[in-house]
Amino acid sequence: MSGKVGGTEIDLSAVNGEGTDDGGVEHGAALVAFVEAVMGDDDDDLAAARVTLRRALSPAAFVDACAVVGAFNVVDRIADATGIPLDEAMATMSAEVRADLDLARFASSANTPGASG
Amino acid sequence: MGPISLDYAGAGVSVREDLAETHRELVEYLGRPGCWFTGSERIAIAAESRNALQCPLCVERKQALSPDHVAGAHARLSELPEAVVELAHRVRGDSQRLSRAWFARTLESGLEDGAYVEAVGIVTFVAGVDAFCRALGIPRFPLPTPEPGEPSRRRPEKLTSGIAWVPLLLPEDASGPEADVYGGAAMVPNIARALSLVPDHVRMLRRETATHYVALDDLQNPSVGRDLDRSQIELVAARVSALNECFY
Repeated sequence: MSGKVGGTEIDLSAVNGEGTDDGGVEHGAALVAFVEAVMGDDDDDLAAARVTLRRALSPAAFVDACAVVGAFNVVDRIADATGIPLDEAMATMSAEVRADLDLARFASSANTPGASG
Repeated sequence: MGPISLDYAGAGVSVREDLAETHRELVEYLGRPGCWFTGSERIAIAAESRNALQCPLCVERKQALSPDHVAGAHARLSELPEAVVELAHRVRGDSQRLSRAWFARTLESGLEDGAYVEAVGIVTFVAGVDAFCRALGIPRFPLPTPEPGEPSRRRPEKLTSGIAWVPLLLPEDASGPEADVYGGAAMVPNIARALSLVPDHVRMLRRETATHYVALDDLQNPSVGRDLDRSQIELVAARVSALNECFY
């Protein structure tokens, strides 16, 4: 399954942790491994993933990656804790992608009418 | 109180100034009196947000099929009301399984919706900055000394119910003291409106999002990125959200 970001075709399986390569995103595999390590509990895994990502990216790009991890640990919780529905325009635009990724399996899909599986 | 100084030295990389400035603003912001909580209470909520990660009740609930099946008391650091401690621990540790029923019970326990939103904002801002520090490989920022003063008890005037669990201030109704709250953005998604019961939270979230991710006005422009390009940014964002099991 694939999607486009800025004209670039990317392999969406990486989003669900199912991809094995970069998926069309430069250093995608290292980015995903890093995110998983940050979100996990193993500090050794995180240290190793950080080294790998630091070698792949410029220092500034590495900091950007850390910042995005921070940002989405904010907005995900806000969305879940306030029960906001997905915006109508986004729901329409992303219907196919959301189905491909089976996002309806998440409990918070209940906050968007018609979204739950 | 002098300006807060945050230490990025252990990262071994330079942190761009707009990020560092946002972190300083955020840390100071946590310690100020808000709409419904004093500075001390806000710092206590922030501390409970961090405490959630090692609370035995939270750990047990996380492993259970349903958090509601596990009874008990939270390991608490503060004298905050139980509903606020529960909120801090659940939003930090298991937000993906929050439900409207849980939200309703939280309000039925006596917590007003404005206070609920203020507490949610504090917990989530701390979660975000802590995740940044963990990713970068530096210690979490210390919480600030709380500032004196009473909460404003200000509630925006024109709120719309029925869209989310909490009332929202729609962009077309943002006027008077809230006129600037959405920054004149052409498109204001629900995530930007979610904390609008506490307008300063919206301002802080706009600032945080613009420096950590992409500014509101640039969301629809796929060519906007940073040293990390937009496809890389979106991959990181999507994987974080998938791991957080966040549908939005």
